Amino acid sequence: MISKLFDPQSVALVGASTKQGSVGYVILENLVTRFKGVVYPVNPKYDEVELWGRRIKFYKSILEIDAPIDAVVIATPAPTVPKILEEAGLKGVPVAIVVSSGFAEAGNVELENWTKAVAKQYGIRVLGPNCIGVYNAYTNFDTIFLPADRAGRPPPGPLALISQSGAVAAAIMDWAARRKIGLGLMVNYGNKIDITEVELLEAFAADDRIKVITLYIEGFKYPGEASRFLESVRKIVPKKPVVVYKAGRGRAAQRAVKSHTAAMAGTYEMYHGLFQQAGVIEASSVREMFDMAKALAYQPIPRGKRVLVVTDSGGMGIQAVDALEALGLEVPEVPESIANELKRELLPFAAVSNPIDVTGSATDEHYKIVLDTLLPTAFFDMALVVTLMQVPGLTKNLAEYIINSKKYGKPLVVVNFGGSELVQKFEDILEDNGIPVYPTPERAAKALWALYKYAEVKRKI
Amino acid sequence: MTHTIVAKALAEARNKLREDEALALLKAYGIPTPDFALARDEEEAVKLAEQIGYPVAVKIVSPQIVHKTDVGGVILGVSNEREVREACVQIKEIIKKVPYAELEGVLIQKMVPKGVELIIGTVYDEIFGHVILFGLGGIYTEVYKDVSMRIVPITEEDAWEMIREVKAYRILTGYRGMPPRDVAAVVDILVKFSRLVQENPEIREADLNPVIALEEGKGAYVVDARFILKMP
Repeated sequence: MISKLFDPQSVALVGASTKQGSVGYVILENLVTRFKGVVYPVNPKYDEVELWGRRIKFYKSILEIDAPIDAVVIATPAPTVPKILEEAGLKGVPVAIVVSSGFAEAGNVELENWTKAVAKQYGIRVLGPNCIGVYNAYTNFDTIFLPADRAGRPPPGPLALISQSGAVAAAIMDWAARRKIGLGLMVNYGNKIDITEVELLEAFAADDRIKVITLYIEGFKYPGEASRFLESVRKIVPKKPVVVYKAGRGRAAQRAVKSHTAAMAGTYEMYHGLFQQAGVIEASSVREMFDMAKALAYQPIPRGKRVLVVTDSGGMGIQAVDALEALGLEVPEVPESIANELKRELLPFAAVSNPIDVTGSATDEHYKIVLDTLLPTAFFDMALVVTLMQVPGLTKNLAEYIINSKKYGKPLVVVNFGGSELVQKFEDILEDNGIPVYPTPERAAKALWALYKYAEVKRKI
Repeated sequence: MTHTIVAKALAEARNKLREDEALALLKAYGIPTPDFALARDEEEAVKLAEQIGYPVAVKIVSPQIVHKTDVGGVILGVSNEREVREACVQIKEIIKKVPYAELEGVLIQKMVPKGVELIIGTVYDEIFGHVILFGLGGIYTEVYKDVSMRIVPITEEDAWEMIREVKAYRILTGYRGMPPRDVAAVVDILVKFSRLVQENPEIREADLNPVIALEEGKGAYVVDARFILKMP
């Protein structure tokens, strides 16, 4: 039933407005102009209005709508919300997205409790209040009141985001849209009077469109939530990876120093412990969360932690090794017999151990030789390929060779950066074919680490 | 499920277990502690020390004294009758200096060989419930805050992970000629302690400090334990 929250066929928007720039206007525009389902605008002020080149019929109340409704979006002043929820309940709407703010976050705890009680009484499930709600890139169901020309909407894809913060979620979407990261579903749960991140995680776990779930969290709110999270996420992670970024790592309010343990009970350590216990992959920033998610969505799971590094820049190779080793991954030497074989085929001054430096004089074929010789062997579990495309010998064909190496069934990530059109195009081809590209060796190494970590999690659970 | 030791303290409206009760509670859950006994007077102290076998530690037992070491209430390496008597005298002197403190007796405890000192603890948090903490003692916990936490109950796998997670883990695996420590024995304590906490939800916080990890194969022992209970 909670799936109606992000996959409704029909939606009532209470507080729909014709006033340009208002919350009710932006959401109405999203729904009317892009949403693939049916929209019923509700606002007693209007009858029929011409907007975006169409005639739009308004309803006085939800009860007036003469058709079943899957979800109601409420964007009216906070004090009116309980009554609207009651009407939605009477109408039999299963879920409500309460965008309105002015509840507990503004000191109106009573109003929030009242809203909660009404929802419970009518059996209507509530997202929010004080949230931006839902974005579904597959159906364009979009309750975000930030205009699309300010907050970009990412394309459909295998990632889902659950966010405690609305503003952070919108910023992530904008960023993902610019980088064409396929963020298929986003839910922001705001004050969480009813629907929790745990339920959302479970819903996304059951959704075949989603391959990786990302979670931005600041902190739990209710007693017992940590145990529920643990229990639920342990069941999810064998199916699909959950990547989390917990913001606010500082120590919580000062506690009296009663014992060693109590003094040590800064809340972040508890979250970190919980994430480890649950098999969640923890990121240290939003960017890192998506760096990891991108690799987890498209790359296979490695069998071990031995990484092959191929580079056309010695310096980048060294940085890659540093980064990989700092994360506990291994960069083993190439066995001598194979190194000798490579020596015959690569340039005389190429380095043939690991990292393999095909040098700035390399051609596409040199990469192909290395990948085809080493990836099929049992000596390496994954590869980090540095392709600084600024050297003259490299062409678009290199992308093809790298994509072709997917056949070995081992994770591949690429480090590449630069602003030229050639470089950009090269990156696009790789990413369109499921090879994640990162601008620095550190970020690529962390992505491989996430794959390894997920392999460990799967082994354990 | 609550253990009788905890139930008894609560019935007597005490929010803290006595030293001997704390150690007995650990023992009841199969957590190794050095042999110990509570002596009510000097004569009994001598008798018990002979029974337990020298060297022993002599520790003050007083509900009003929270940090025994700070007041000089812990005398280590006591190795004959004369030293037991001296320790008892010393402890009586301490009690005189703390006017509000009552002396319940002295704890006689078998000395544990030197090892790596660890801290295992628990604290109750509204949102997380009981959380278990692990860290190496001294500066690693106090200065570097190098600890790991998990929520109760933990599995054996969780226990291994929380031990490996602390940065100071290398000290347990053998370092600069120091032998590797009995990490498996520490894992065993963590898992049993998790069960103890789970079955006695009235525990508000607890410190097992220090826990001494001996060389591989020789075990690990809880030398001192504090339990604070939640009054009903």
